[in-house]
Amino acid sequence: MNNEVYIKIENLTKTFGPVVANNNVSLEVRKGEIHALLGENGSGKSTLMNMLSGIYTPDSGAIYIKGKKVSFRNPKDSMALGIGMIHQHFKLVEVLTAKENIIAGQKGTFFIGSRKLSQKIRDISDRYGLAVDPDKKVYNMSVGEKQTVEILKVLYRGAEILILDEPTAVLTPQETQSLFNILRKMRQAGCSIIIITHKLNEVMEISDRITVLRKGETFGTVNKTDTSANELTNLMVGRAVDLSINRVEKKNDSTILKVKELTVTDEENVKALNTVSFTLDSGEILGVAGVAGSGQKELCETIAGLYPVASGVIEYNDENIVGKNPRDIIKMGISMSFIPEDRLGMGLIASMGMVDNMILKEYQNQKGLFIEKKTAKNLSQKLVEKLDINTPGIYHPVRQLSGGNIQKVLLGREIESNPHLLITAYPVRGLDINASYTIYDLLNEQKEKGVGILFIGEDLDVLMELCDRIMVLCNGEVTGIVDAANVTKEQLGLMMAGEKWEDVIGRGA
Amino acid sequence: MKKLLALMLAVAMISAALLSGCGAGSSGDDSAASTGAKAVKAGFIYIGPIGDGGYTYAHDQGRLFLEKELGAKGVTTTFLENVAEDASSEKAMKDLIDQGCNVIFATSFGYMEYVDRVAKEYPDVKFFHCSGYLSNDTNFVNYFGRIEQTRYLSGIAAALKSKSGKIGYVAAKQIPEVIRGINSFTLGVQSVSPTATVNVKWTDTWYDPTLEKNAATALLNDGCDVIAQHQDTTGPQIAAEEKNAFAIGYNSDSSKAAPKAYITAPIWNWGVYYVDQVQKILDGTWKAENYWGGLKEGVVDLAPITENAAPGTKETVEAIKAKILDGSFNVFAGPIKDQTGAVRVAEGAVMSDEDQLSCKWFVQGVNGKIDK
Amino acid sequence: MFRVVKRTDLTRRKSATFRLLAILAALVTSGVFLMLLGFNPLKVYVSMLDGSFGSAYRFKEAIIKTVPLVVTSLGIAVAFRMKFWNIGAEGQIIMGAFGATYFALFFNQLPAVVLIPLMMLAAIVAGGLWAFIPAFFKAHFGTNETLFTLMMNYIALKWINYLQYGPWKDPKALGFGKIAMFKDNALMPKLFGIHMGWVLAVILVVIMYIFINKTKRGYEIQVIGESENTARYAGMNVKKIILSSLFLSGAICGLVGMFQVSGVNGTLTYQVAGGVGYTAIITTWLAGLSAPVIVIVCFLFAVLQQGGTFIQTAFQIPASAAQLIQGLILFFVLGSEFFVQYRLIIRDGKNPEKVKEAA
Repeated sequence: MNNEVYIKIENLTKTFGPVVANNNVSLEVRKGEIHALLGENGSGKSTLMNMLSGIYTPDSGAIYIKGKKVSFRNPKDSMALGIGMIHQHFKLVEVLTAKENIIAGQKGTFFIGSRKLSQKIRDISDRYGLAVDPDKKVYNMSVGEKQTVEILKVLYRGAEILILDEPTAVLTPQETQSLFNILRKMRQAGCSIIIITHKLNEVMEISDRITVLRKGETFGTVNKTDTSANELTNLMVGRAVDLSINRVEKKNDSTILKVKELTVTDEENVKALNTVSFTLDSGEILGVAGVAGSGQKELCETIAGLYPVASGVIEYNDENIVGKNPRDIIKMGISMSFIPEDRLGMGLIASMGMVDNMILKEYQNQKGLFIEKKTAKNLSQKLVEKLDINTPGIYHPVRQLSGGNIQKVLLGREIESNPHLLITAYPVRGLDINASYTIYDLLNEQKEKGVGILFIGEDLDVLMELCDRIMVLCNGEVTGIVDAANVTKEQLGLMMAGEKWEDVIGRGA
Repeated sequence: MKKLLALMLAVAMISAALLSGCGAGSSGDDSAASTGAKAVKAGFIYIGPIGDGGYTYAHDQGRLFLEKELGAKGVTTTFLENVAEDASSEKAMKDLIDQGCNVIFATSFGYMEYVDRVAKEYPDVKFFHCSGYLSNDTNFVNYFGRIEQTRYLSGIAAALKSKSGKIGYVAAKQIPEVIRGINSFTLGVQSVSPTATVNVKWTDTWYDPTLEKNAATALLNDGCDVIAQHQDTTGPQIAAEEKNAFAIGYNSDSSKAAPKAYITAPIWNWGVYYVDQVQKILDGTWKAENYWGGLKEGVVDLAPITENAAPGTKETVEAIKAKILDGSFNVFAGPIKDQTGAVRVAEGAVMSDEDQLSCKWFVQGVNGKIDK
Repeated sequence: MFRVVKRTDLTRRKSATFRLLAILAALVTSGVFLMLLGFNPLKVYVSMLDGSFGSAYRFKEAIIKTVPLVVTSLGIAVAFRMKFWNIGAEGQIIMGAFGATYFALFFNQLPAVVLIPLMMLAAIVAGGLWAFIPAFFKAHFGTNETLFTLMMNYIALKWINYLQYGPWKDPKALGFGKIAMFKDNALMPKLFGIHMGWVLAVILVVIMYIFINKTKRGYEIQVIGESENTARYAGMNVKKIILSSLFLSGAICGLVGMFQVSGVNGTLTYQVAGGVGYTAIITTWLAGLSAPVIVIVCFLFAVLQQGGTFIQTAFQIPASAAQLIQGLILFFVLGSEFFVQYRLIIRDGKNPEKVKEAA
């Protein structure tokens, strides 16, 4: 490995109002290494990278690229010095081809011969093993392909330092492997790669060195070979954490929810769910796995009565609830709780305090013109104590709480309504490790009480450990419903990519 | 929340207390106004800005004349411009009275009913309303001038200049004042060229430079070669200037606005009336009498005729003017036929003041329509 | 060289300081302008206050100006709470005035105790419907409410214009385009020398405060304003709530039309709204949609307008110049809102390290 230092960050500090996002952060990235930036949500990883790519300007501190002190006014400055950033959300024009996206925004490309251009793109593709057809339209591409185009785009612009922000969040395990292959090839070619992630196993697999951020500060850089997943967790969280999730044994098997041949279409008349059938028992956690956008959101919203059904039946305790709106469902006294994916955009009212949020689903059962808040106030106080919610007060806007506390407020409210069915989408997204485990415990507690839980997750390890069964969705279709204890990650990955469970088994993978 | 409610209630109570104070104090206001019976403070409300170069300008010239003549006797004046013909005129008058005015000149027709209302509320203030028909016996009179006399004269000047025999007339609103003006102008036109027509275009506005100019341009495009107006801006005259045609102004001498087009204009000398009335108030001889002055009284006149006029215009006009002044000629003397050809004023008769003030028909020779 | 950064850390005292500074800056700027015109700015400013507080009459006039602003702002606030950008208050006032006038003109044989409430009801219904129409189209066809409500203003304006110069023209006005003055039984009674509208305004402020903060519907309106998705998730019938609340918003604005024709003007003219519907958008916004604050902001606005007319006569300042001063003050105050929410960072080109903060 070459020891030449490509990027040196010295004592960067960045504040947003009273919040110190980065405090005296230092980092060194060498030529030809894959450097992982590890930290929990809110530890300042994204802020640091945004400063490196010229989106934010540091309050103090210095950045050196190849030994030269630099200051970026905008992303263009950073790009000019060979830094390319791949964001979590792709910035591609759907209706254009890969090639057009790559050259878009470049100066003087108007007269460059199209063939010459395609050739240049192919050269780069071949060098790093990026399999992309330059003339394919972006809307025809899979998520993995889109990501490849993004990488190609920054390489085409001459990037030697690549920053990837949570690149595997949207990928199947197989796609992740091919991404890692690309990154390894780039490393060989002498590029430096910074990968932002909170997934420990990936860090251990791909990186050469790891820098851990905690609460906006750097907690040392270690060589991968000198460390372990447990040690990294300690560095990340600040103390030892038990990483295993208990699976509570399922007790009974009375079916609470039965979905038959459910089909829904979106505004463009594309089938978002296609003949989906499954059952959910009381006291069972059914996990739903799938690449983002495979129909998870539609599934949840349809069951909760928020999405119109094209055909099919949803039976809750043997009663068909298709065609009922959420208000009817609440009025019927069905205790079904839906914990939406978009917490502040759907489940909670961001600018209101806990009390007003507690009323949200309960106020309609109140009589009279005026709203009664005493019950909600008591409930809020109870939840703060029971779930250890950290808030300046029960009237403090929930928007200003941390992600974990927001999730506790939401989950707490739904659980307090004593549901028989709980639907929850990505409940630990954005939460730190401790908070995540609190949520898992809460779900298990409900399970023990006999609540049927539909759990939409993204981390396959968690799904496999927490759930009784896992249903895999791909493009709105069920590719398999499997026993969580008897499935491998690779098998799940194949199903997420569209292979049926029978075929996966047949392969003996 | 409780605090807020308490605060609001407090505010409400305080304002109520203050307001009840106002109610009691209002009679005091009136007496304050009446104490100034000796020192006259005259307040004017205008429909347009004083710089309109037209109607409002003419009134404001009268106000300045009043200040110049009687300023030494302690007469002061003030004014509010751009006052709309709605309830804001009522507020404008009250504002002026609040600031010590004890004589109000309300100079536009649409203020009339509001003047009437305010006059009842403030019996010690004297109200003069221009161009309307309401009045009372104590403190509210109307005043206007026989501008028809000089409109007739300007009609002669226009007819002598017109080659096409088509004269345009940009007119403000369909009220007797304007209709009367069109009729007298047309009678003047026909006195020298019996086949000529006066083509009317309504704008429904007193003061809108662009609209009025556009109306004149439309008339010019229709073949008119002289434009007359009952508007407060010089827009029609500028339109004539641009199209190399000719124009009769209104309100005040506007030769500067359209030097190549302007021939003459019926103009107001309001100062004559203002000084006369205020002098009477100072002397204590003022009576609530309506006023309708003419050439003889000096409140109306024809502006000096320019080089743009046809040769001989001055002589013809001066001759008729002399006859009006000595009383041997009346503009509205019969026979007068209306647009249908029916005789409205018989030979030897003269249209009465009442008929003039409520005139709702056009004389023969007018090419235009009055909405019912 | 400049960058704009959103503030998160501004204390109450600091933001108050900004607003005060803005007013000061406005006074200095228009002071220079006044001096150029040959007036003593200090005297002019004092006299502007004198215009509202100098006599009982002036204070009354300031209240008369405040009433329509307050009530309109209350109406607008209901719509704005739902992030429904109702720019149509002007038209809703006009249509409210139209409804009231209809009964004033054609049912004037009724006694005042019947006629006045009837006129109010008509104003409420007419104004409410005028706001309901764009809300209906927005709810069912997704039309843009800002443009729609704005256009509705012009329709209302032209409609009254047509009536004033056409079918409703006062035959006694000898062709002058005006609608007849109302008979006395169609004029709102006065309390303490000001039409009863002020009492209703005070009551409405309290009611709207309670409505928004204490009732179920008020709660629903707040939730919808925050996020329609949340509202749907909670089982609210979003369309129905938007439609009924917009009717309420328009109805309150329509009531202003009633106040103006029956309490102030004594008749209907097409200028009846006189820009109140637009001014109230500013006051509503400055008051942060809060009913009690609306009262304060609207009163200050009325004082500003009243002062503007007062200095015209007191100093013979041209009307346009007086309006310019009002405009300058407003400009600076609104401008200061930007600095309350954002800060400007000026970067020194030579020393990128050094970051200066500008207020």
